[in-house]
Amino acid sequence: MNLHRMLAVAWKEWREVVRDRLFFTMAFILPLMLMGVLGWGLSLDVENIPFVVVDHDNTPLSRDYIGHYTDSRYFRFRGYLADEHRIDPLLADSKVRLAIVIPPRFQERLLAGTPAPVQALIDGVFPFRAQTLKGYVAAINAAFSRNLLVKHLARSRGLPRTAAEAMVQPVRLETRYLYNQAIRSDWSMAPALIMLVLMVTPPFLTALGVVRERESGSIYNIYASTITKGEFIIGKLAPYAAISCFNILTLWIVAMQVFGAPFKGNAPFFYAASVVYVICTAGIGLLVSIWVRTQMAAVLLTMVITFIPAMLYSGMLVPIQSLSPEARLEAHLFPPLYYLRLTWGTFLKGLGPEALWRDVAILALYATLLWGIGWWRFTKRPGR
Amino acid sequence: MTPRDDAEHAPSAPLLCRVRGFGKRYGRLQAVKGIDLELHQGEIHGLIGPDGAGKSTLMKAIAGVLDFDQGRIELFGTPLDSERAAEAAKAQIGFMPQGLGLNLYAELSVEENIDFFAQLREIPPALREARKAELLAMTRLAPFRDRAMKHLSGGMKQKLGLVCTLVHQPRLVILDEPTTGVDPVSRRDFWAILTGLLRERGVTALVSTAYLDEASRFHRLAFLHQGRMLAEGSPERLQRLAPGHIAQLAPADPLAAFRAVRSRWPQAEVVGPLLRVFLREGEEPAELARRAVVGEEEITLHEPDLEDTFIALLRQRGLMEERAEESGSASGDQGDPAGETRRREPLIEARGLTRDFGRFRAVDHVDFQVCPGEIFGLLGANGAGKTTAIKMLTGILPPSSGEGRVAGADMARAGQAIKSRIGYMSQAFSLYEDLTVQENLRLFAGIYGLRNRERDRRIEWALELGDLTHLRRASTASLPMGQRQRLALGCALLHRPQVLFLDEPTSGVDPVGRRRFWEILLRLARIERVALLVTTHYMSEAEHCDRIALMYAGRIIADAPPAELKARLERRVGRLLSVVTAEPLRALERLEAAGFRDAALFGRHIHLFSRDPGATGEEIRRLLEAAHIAVEGIGVQPPGMEDVFVHEILAREREAVA
Repeated sequence: MNLHRMLAVAWKEWREVVRDRLFFTMAFILPLMLMGVLGWGLSLDVENIPFVVVDHDNTPLSRDYIGHYTDSRYFRFRGYLADEHRIDPLLADSKVRLAIVIPPRFQERLLAGTPAPVQALIDGVFPFRAQTLKGYVAAINAAFSRNLLVKHLARSRGLPRTAAEAMVQPVRLETRYLYNQAIRSDWSMAPALIMLVLMVTPPFLTALGVVRERESGSIYNIYASTITKGEFIIGKLAPYAAISCFNILTLWIVAMQVFGAPFKGNAPFFYAASVVYVICTAGIGLLVSIWVRTQMAAVLLTMVITFIPAMLYSGMLVPIQSLSPEARLEAHLFPPLYYLRLTWGTFLKGLGPEALWRDVAILALYATLLWGIGWWRFTKRPGR
Repeated sequence: MTPRDDAEHAPSAPLLCRVRGFGKRYGRLQAVKGIDLELHQGEIHGLIGPDGAGKSTLMKAIAGVLDFDQGRIELFGTPLDSERAAEAAKAQIGFMPQGLGLNLYAELSVEENIDFFAQLREIPPALREARKAELLAMTRLAPFRDRAMKHLSGGMKQKLGLVCTLVHQPRLVILDEPTTGVDPVSRRDFWAILTGLLRERGVTALVSTAYLDEASRFHRLAFLHQGRMLAEGSPERLQRLAPGHIAQLAPADPLAAFRAVRSRWPQAEVVGPLLRVFLREGEEPAELARRAVVGEEEITLHEPDLEDTFIALLRQRGLMEERAEESGSASGDQGDPAGETRRREPLIEARGLTRDFGRFRAVDHVDFQVCPGEIFGLLGANGAGKTTAIKMLTGILPPSSGEGRVAGADMARAGQAIKSRIGYMSQAFSLYEDLTVQENLRLFAGIYGLRNRERDRRIEWALELGDLTHLRRASTASLPMGQRQRLALGCALLHRPQVLFLDEPTSGVDPVGRRRFWEILLRLARIERVALLVTTHYMSEAEHCDRIALMYAGRIIADAPPAELKARLERRVGRLLSVVTAEPLRALERLEAAGFRDAALFGRHIHLFSRDPGATGEEIRRLLEAAHIAVEGIGVQPPGMEDVFVHEILAREREAVA
């Protein structure tokens, strides 16, 4: 291993990156842009759901029922409709996601002690949102029913309100959300996006960096010289790894300052783990660069093999345990899964090396494997 | 085999590289096969052939940057049979891949580029600075040390590439088409630098080129054609392989004479006012004179140049694409809308045509005219402004000032009607490779709005014009460059344009293909009275044009018929003397020391200009004989277009300084 030659390549590469406007943007601006675009755009909170009401009863009690929805931050009231036929076009146009139909004699039946049906029409196109929405509707409905019962009991038996409540709900559920007390999705999304951005951008840089040289023909300077392939690979990729190590810090700051995510864990440990992850993902770029010939192909292939595992097989959107067995196996084959455990663990749960060292070890193994294959497959005397 | 007689570099010089039965496949395609080659210490060895001949493949394999599957390469005495073996040889090799400046780093400065190559080769800093200073001075790049490579001209990029390849002082340099697309002055510089290195360090060079007129620069050369070795040896030996002479005559109607002699002498071509015919050894000019209807005394005999030899060799080995007999008098001649094009008013006219890109002036006050039936050549290096000028004349690009007129209309404002009178064939022929020949023609006919019988008639005409009738159902991707080029021409001519723009139509096409292409252009001009504007960077092609404009850095520095340009050069600097000696390197040194500053080495010949050839010849003979260098001959030669171009540029530069 000759340090001089390696440094020569690294220094040349560094100057090219900082002087080439496109590469500079890709190295330093693109990660922040991705973080911003996805951070603001990929909110999983279901709030402000537009809804309409068809109230055939139009009595104080029916209006009270509707009032439970309009007062909630989860719903946004879009007005009353005269009859059910008007609902369909609105749902079809996605102008509203929910419609509530109150039948005639709603108040009369409730006051008479007979159950009254209420219809909720939910846009079921996106199951995750529909399920959440149904949960909200059921909860509001239950609260309204309970209230009615409490009032009835208090009046009919002359009980104090608390006693009536205790009778109505013998088992009381006490929920406490740990780690993310406000269950704000940007607390969990921001660290997850660090995982995503560091999965995507380092391989982009490394793959394009190598393929660009091959496309222009300057790779022949390397092929024709006495530099060894190990020296070239390390020298060539070191600046990109260094840039990504810098980006870890900027993304970390953005996650905390812009998206307000708390960091509860061990900072040096998280940084070290992130460096391992970045070296690992840079290795993905190295492999891509060995198998493709044009920059175009490099971009496409990198997109596919980084974005998809990071989005779908990391546990970011869907818990790993909920995946099919095949998908679960697949998820374990990609590095994002392990790094996401690390980010969530350190950011939200405050865990340190004693709990997470296994994931770092797996990432390190992964990195060694990728770079090893890269070194093995790289040749200074290709067949074409 | 004839015995080897390359006096200077023959077996006496140590063998550096031996190639035996070399072959290479890319997938199912056998790109190169059965190549034998030897490189001796201290020679400049040339590889000559068109695109796809296998030059790059062979050079990359020798440089150890390409794995190969057939044959054997021995370099510095060890076989290159593994990556490890190739690595071992690399310290002593310098390799410059094809593509002007493409192997350099655009964002780095001249000095940073050199430093990078030096660091890669682990040259200690002190030594690096010394060599850098020396090489920068030699290439006259020293003033541009801090300029970013992307802001260099083509010629400077090429020289920087050479410096970077030489900085570790390799024993063998392998240069893949180093002069393609470079202006002639830079080309001269390049050869001077290479000659100097050869002289001072005994460097060996393997150089490929697509320009056959450069072949005389080599001590020995190999003609490659479609992956095979056609012939190898010194230029003199190659010429002896196809013995004969070039008969040159100036008939009243060169095209008619060409048609009259062609069936008897297939290797004939019209060059401007002249007819050149290759007569094989033993063939007498009398018969030629009779057929061409000229007096026998009007025929002059000349030594064939290497392009003639190359084509003669192809013909000898039966490797020529055989041409179908021409049916009757130029088919489709009804295409002459009589009267209209007979007038002598110019069809193409540039008046003070100028174009700026930001602060860069690509075309600078260009004026010229092209009349019907005239072939006008725009000659210049890559980046001289040729393509930009054509784009303004075809209305694709608006000029910054001045105007381009076609058939009297200003192209910046002209409507579709006038554009339909223009034919345009671009650098990268805009054919659809997945379509067949006929489908391409139909597509273009549709674009030009041709219908029914007219369409079918024009398509048949174009097929015949390009001699493609038998290939109408062939896929375009499968055609060799020459046929593709003729198809592109046919497509550009379907709508009977009166004006035809051709932007570097022949780059990458083999010499045979280029000749046939020029035959077609000549027919278009002379018979169909089309006005043709052709750009090229092949100096030798310029001779086919009726008028030539030399373009340099956006300006036209000369505009005249080729013969007049040459005559002007001879009036200015004298006749071109060619000195042949057994020891050209020593001879060159002696002559330079004696004050012949413009002496240049061409293989075994030394070229220089003299106002008094007789006296200068005597002086040279005396000088060399005093140094015990045997002089084999001193003769006067007509100058080439490159000489004209170089002197025009140098004259401009001197004016600018004064």
